[in-house]
Amino acid sequence: MHIHERNPWRTLIAVSVFVVILVIGFLTMPKPLIEYEKSMDESIEALLNGEDYFYPWELEDVIANKPDSIVLFDIRDNFVFGQGHIPGAENLSASTLADPDNLERLTALRDMGVTIVLYGENELQANGPWMFFRQVGFNNIKLLLGGYEYYKANEDDLYSTIDDDAYFSGFPRFNYAEMAAPKDGSDLNADQDNKPVQVRRREKTNVAAGGC
Amino acid sequence: MNRNYILLTVLMLVLAVGTLFLTTDDEPKQIAPEELLQEIIQPTRYVTTDQVAKMIIQGDPSLLMVDVRSADEYNEYALPGSVNIPLEELLNEGNMGYFGVPGVKVVFISNDDIRADQTWVLTKRLGVDGTYVMKGGLNCWMQTIIEPSQPDADAPSVDHALYAFRKGAQIYFTGAESATTDDGNVEVQVRRREKTNVAAGGC
Repeated sequence: MHIHERNPWRTLIAVSVFVVILVIGFLTMPKPLIEYEKSMDESIEALLNGEDYFYPWELEDVIANKPDSIVLFDIRDNFVFGQGHIPGAENLSASTLADPDNLERLTALRDMGVTIVLYGENELQANGPWMFFRQVGFNNIKLLLGGYEYYKANEDDLYSTIDDDAYFSGFPRFNYAEMAAPKDGSDLNADQDNKPVQVRRREKTNVAAGGC
Repeated sequence: MNRNYILLTVLMLVLAVGTLFLTTDDEPKQIAPEELLQEIIQPTRYVTTDQVAKMIIQGDPSLLMVDVRSADEYNEYALPGSVNIPLEELLNEGNMGYFGVPGVKVVFISNDDIRADQTWVLTKRLGVDGTYVMKGGLNCWMQTIIEPSQPDADAPSVDHALYAFRKGAQIYFTGAESATTDDGNVEVQVRRREKTNVAAGGC
């Protein structure tokens, strides 16, 4: 007689235990520390709909009163931070952003409902990390407009920057067409100038049509 | 037939049918978040307006400029040879084909460099290499190439060499008349601008 027929229950128990171990293994697989919370489309939409900014004049209130609901993080490296930073800011240099300790701290702050303001030397430096954090699910992170250099230039009187728009970015500051118009009087020929020199798209190679 | 064999067979068939119902994500392939962060903090993606101008003038075939502003802004003015891909159309099938071509340097351009940088981060998340951002954007382009500011007479010679290059680029892009000067450092037109560092490099 076949061994399985001699003791049928043993087979069944062995198979069940095997399946249970597999299921437990899948359920307890370690989850990665950070993963994307926003899909690509959601990220693009969030960028287009108007992002979360922190204005320089709001800093005056933060520096004076040090509210618990707002935390400033300086993403520049430690040396530059030591030379000068916004009062009350903590140093969280960009290269250590993905450390588990920092991520835990940021998650804890998010759960407490604290707003985090990131700033760098200028808006561009903090833009990358800010975008990154918004994509992995930290919706409480804001970007300081103008960066540290704008703050430094105006630190004596931050409230007056309400009327200033020097820290805004993304809009043309000049009339491009007028400025770049040919000076010898000829019209800017739109077709000629804007035709792409070489339009090269990546084509999907068809393996069957050639070989490897 | 033995009952256990029948049970096992049924179990396997159920599992097999279950795999038919596994849903696949519609999300395109992306790099891990930690990797993305490492790429973000590298400053190697920035190119200056002077570098881009030089590549255009030399007719470098590996350059592909992608203008990420809206179509209206693009139609009003754009750099010669640039392609328009507004941010909302970034994920369209036809547009994604521009990226990832080996040997092609894609340079993102916007009014300032913030929008271009954001587009760079998004394409980097999809694992695209060979992408760059023009630092300062078109605002900087206007200040350095279209209307370069002359350095002071006592500035180091590299500044004067850069200014000479920029004057040449200005003639190339706008057809301006070249200013004739008797002496190299005579201040024919002193146009003082607020940002004095424009003459010495970037914006």
